[in-house]
Amino acid sequence: MNHDASTSACPTASPPTSDLRYVQYDGAREDEYVSAMRQLISKDLSEPYSIYVYRYFLYQWGNLCFMAMDDSRPEDPMVGVVVSKLEPHRSGPLRGYIAMLAVREDYRGRGIATKLVRMAIDAMIELNADEIALETEITNTAAIKLYERLGFLRSKRLHRYYLNGNSAYRLVLYLKEGVGSIRTADPYAVHADARPEMAGPILAPPPALLHGNGGGVI
Amino acid sequence: MRVVSQTVVPCDITDEFTKAASKLRTGQLVKDEYFTLFEAVGALEIMDSKMDSGYLGPGENHAQALEDDYDTMRELAPEEVVGIMDELLCHEMAWHIGHPLSQTLFTSLYLDKLLWPVPNTFEEAHFGRPRNAMNQESPAIVHLVLRAYCLGLVKCCDFVHARVSGEYFYEEEDFVTQLYNRSLLSQFDQQPFIQLLDRAIMWIEDRNNQLDDKIREAIQCRLVMRRDLLLGFEQDMEILETRMSAHFTSCVSQLPALAKSISLGKSVPESFSLKIQRKLASTVPPRPMVKISPEDALAHLKRLCQDAVDVLDILNYRGPHNLKVAIWSLLSRKPQPSVYIRSLVQSVIVNNMTVLGVVPVKQFLYDELAEIVLPASALLRANTDEIEMPSDPRFQIAQHMDAFVKRFAQPFVDTFRSACLNRCRIRRTVCHTIVDWDNLQMEAEDLDEQLRTLNNEPPLVLQNGDTTYSYPLSSWTYHQKLNQFRLIIQMGFELSIYSPEELPGMYWYLSHICSTHLGHIDRIRTFTVSTAKRNLASLAGEKLEALERHAALQKSLRLLERLTTQLVAVDALAISLHALYVLLVRHELLPLASSAQAYSSERLRYELRMKPFIPITLPELVPFEEYRREAMLEGDSDEVVLERATKAISEARKAWETTLNDGAFARDPDGQSDQTTAIEEDWKRDVKDIMRACIGASIAIGTVKKALAAHKGTNNGKDMERLNLRVSIAEPGSKSRWHDWWAVPQILQTGTELTT
Repeated sequence: MNHDASTSACPTASPPTSDLRYVQYDGAREDEYVSAMRQLISKDLSEPYSIYVYRYFLYQWGNLCFMAMDDSRPEDPMVGVVVSKLEPHRSGPLRGYIAMLAVREDYRGRGIATKLVRMAIDAMIELNADEIALETEITNTAAIKLYERLGFLRSKRLHRYYLNGNSAYRLVLYLKEGVGSIRTADPYAVHADARPEMAGPILAPPPALLHGNGGGVI
Repeated sequence: MRVVSQTVVPCDITDEFTKAASKLRTGQLVKDEYFTLFEAVGALEIMDSKMDSGYLGPGENHAQALEDDYDTMRELAPEEVVGIMDELLCHEMAWHIGHPLSQTLFTSLYLDKLLWPVPNTFEEAHFGRPRNAMNQESPAIVHLVLRAYCLGLVKCCDFVHARVSGEYFYEEEDFVTQLYNRSLLSQFDQQPFIQLLDRAIMWIEDRNNQLDDKIREAIQCRLVMRRDLLLGFEQDMEILETRMSAHFTSCVSQLPALAKSISLGKSVPESFSLKIQRKLASTVPPRPMVKISPEDALAHLKRLCQDAVDVLDILNYRGPHNLKVAIWSLLSRKPQPSVYIRSLVQSVIVNNMTVLGVVPVKQFLYDELAEIVLPASALLRANTDEIEMPSDPRFQIAQHMDAFVKRFAQPFVDTFRSACLNRCRIRRTVCHTIVDWDNLQMEAEDLDEQLRTLNNEPPLVLQNGDTTYSYPLSSWTYHQKLNQFRLIIQMGFELSIYSPEELPGMYWYLSHICSTHLGHIDRIRTFTVSTAKRNLASLAGEKLEALERHAALQKSLRLLERLTTQLVAVDALAISLHALYVLLVRHELLPLASSAQAYSSERLRYELRMKPFIPITLPELVPFEEYRREAMLEGDSDEVVLERATKAISEARKAWETTLNDGAFARDPDGQSDQTTAIEEDWKRDVKDIMRACIGASIAIGTVKKALAAHKGTNNGKDMERLNLRVSIAEPGSKSRWHDWWAVPQILQTGTELTT
C-alpha cells in the first residue's frame, strides 16, 4: 500500500525529534485519529482508500498502528503514521504486513518514518511474527532505502502493480530462522488443476488499491 | 410491473437494521471471516467524488453529469479528422500498453456512438444514432472517412482482445480485458470493415482537387495503415502457412508519413469525454484519461509491427534448442514486446497440441530428448501402433514413453511459453515451476529404471570400477531444472532485486550452479560417447542405420559442446565478478543497503534469498556456513582472489568470443547457413553486450589491482587502510550497465594521496 517516505535518506543529519510524541492507535479516538490519518495518507493518492480499508486495519490491528504527534500544532498534531497487520500467511508463517506509511512533507528527513516502522516491527516481534512484508513503488527510493537499512530484501518485482501502471518491489524481512521452510497453501494449486494447459488468463490479481504501499508517503 | 419470485418473500428490515446498527460504536467492524483486505479495498464510499463515479456535485444535475452536448454529426475539417484519428491511435496504444478502455478509447464520443447500444447490424454502427438514418454518408469526411477509420480501429481491438485473452497473461498487469458490456463488434465479420476502409481510401484519393495534397495524403496514409493493421491482426496466425507478414510490413511503411503529418492535425478535445465512464458498467472509481504522446504511440505501434514481422523468424523449425534461442532473443528485446506479440508468440508456439503449426507436441519432446540425451535411441522409436504384443519389451517401452510424454510434454512446452510472460512474471513463474520439475525428476528416475531393464542398457564402467547407467529421462529433467536455476538467478539481476552486499554471494551461487551443470553435461556426454563407440563397430559395416545413428550422435555431441561453451562463458564471468566483489567487500568499498541496526542477520537474508530453492532436492541447498565460506573466499589472500578474478575474466572473454563465433543457432556442419535474421542480430547484440561487460570487468579488476599494489607499497604490508577507490553499480537499463544480467561495478580512483 502506501509508503511515502522521502524521509530519512540522511538520518545522521536529522534534527532532534524529541519534540514529537509517538503513540499507539486508540480505537476510542477513531473520530479524531482516522480523519487526520486519511488526510496524511490520501494527500498524494489519486484514488484514496475508502474508510473500510482503514477500519479493516485499525479495528483488527490498532495495536500495530503508530502515530507521530507534534503538540506544537494542537489543531492538527499528526505528522506521521504507520498502519499494519499481522496474520498467518496462507496458513503458513505469521506474517506482518506494513500497509501504509506516511510522514507530513515538511517533517520528512528527520527519521520519523524509520522510528514509526521500528515501533511497528517491534510490536510485531513482541507478538511472535515470523516475517514482515510490504510493497513499495520501485521509484520510491527513500522508502526502499529505509526498509533495506532495517534489513529487508527485495524478494520479487511486481509488474505494473499500481493503478498508475508503476511496478513495485515486494520487500521481505525474516525474523526467525526456518521461516523459508514453513509450508504455505499454494494459491495456484486449484487453478493449475483447472487448467491442464497453460491457456487463458489466470486469476486476476486483487485490485491494485490493496496493493500495499508500505513504502508510502515518507 | 415488478417480478416477484415465488420462493423469496421480501420483508422490510429497515427498523430492525437501524436498531441493531445504533448499538455499534463508530469504527466498529462487523465482518465474517471471509471479509478480507480484498473486500475492504473493493468497497467504495458513496458520495465521495473520488470514489463514486455516479456522484453529482453541488448544483450538478443528472443531464449535465452524464450527457455530452458534442454533436457527432457535425462537419469536420480534414485537419480535425487527422487530429481525432491521431488521438484515437494514442488511446489505442495506451490500451495495448495495459490501460483500461474506460480511460482510453472508450472516452471517445465517436466510438461511443458506434458501440452503444450494441448495434445489431454493421450499418447500424454509425455516428447519427439514434435519430439519423443509417445510410447517411454526408459529409463524407465524417460518415465515410472517420467512420471507416473508427470501425476499423474497433475491429483491430477486437482481434487483439481475442488474441490476448485466449493466451496466458495477467489481467491488469499486462492487459485489461474489461469491455464494460460493450462489444468490439466481434459479431461482425471483418469483410465490411475492409470494404468500408477501401471505399474511404478511394474517396480520399479522388479528392485531389478539393483537398490540400498534404492533408489528403495524411488522411490517406492513416486509412491505409488502419487497413494494413486490421488485415495483419486478422491474419496473424496465418503466417504458419503463408510464412509472410506483408500487412505488418506494409503498415510499418506507412508510419514515417504518418509521423510527419501529425503536426497537420487539429485536436478536437471536446470529442473525448470522461463522462462516458459514468455510463460504463463498472464499479470502479472514476479514473483519469490516460494521455500518451503521439510519438510514444507511434513508437509502440512501430515496434509492434516490427516484432510481428520478426515472429516469422521463429517459424523456421530447427529443433527445440534453436527454437528456444529464437524465442528468448525475440522476447528479450528492450522494451519487451507488447502483450499482443507475446500472446501471438504463445499461439504460434503451441496450438492444438502442435508446435509452430507443424510439429506434434510428442515429436517436439522427442526431438529435444534426441538432441540432449537420447540420440538415435530405440526408446524414441518404440511405438504401440506397430508393436501390438503386450509382452514385447518394445510395446512396454512405448507404453512407458507414452506415460512420460503425457506427464512431461506440457511442462516442457511451458518452458517455452513462460518466456512470453512479462519479465517479472517469468522469474516468479519459474520459481514455482522449478518445484514441479524437481518432482518430475523423481518420476523420470522411476521410468528410467524400468526402461533400462526393458531396453537392456549396458552399464557403463567407471574408472574406479563402479558401474552406472545413463538415466536419460531424469538426466534431461535435471538439465532443464538447472537451466531454470540459472534463469532465476540471472533474472534477479535483470529485475534489480539484489542489494549490493548480495552481489558477491549471488555471483558465487551462479557459478556454483554453472559448475554443477557443466558436471552434469559431462556425465550426459560420457554416455553419448560410449554409445558412439559401440556404434563404430556397426559403422564399419557401412550399414545405413549405423550411419544415421552416427550422424545423430555427432549432432547431439555438438550441441552438448555448444551448451558447454556457453556455460563455461557464464561460469567464468560469474567467477570473475564474484572474486572482484569479494575484494570490494573486504576493503569496505561496496555500498551497503542494510545497516548495523538491521533486524535481520546475514544468515536470515541468505535464507530469504534461497527461498525458491529450499524445497528442491537436487542440487541441494548450500548450508549457510559453507555459502559464507565460499562466497567470501575465506582463507584466500587478496592476491589469490585477485589472481582468480584476472584469470576468470580472461577465460570469460575467450569463451564469449567463441560463443559469438559459434552463432545463435546450432547448425549441421553441412547445413547451409541461412541468411542472418533479425532475431539472430538481437542475439549477437546481446552477446556483444556481455562482451562489453567483460571488458568493463577487466578494467575494474585492473583498477583494483593497481590500487592494491600501490597500497601495499606505501603501507609496508601493514593492516588495511581504505583504498582510494569509489565504486558504483549501474542500474539495469542505464547506459553504463552493459548487460542486465551482469552487474559490473565501475571503479574510480578518488585521489592519489594515501593516508598513512
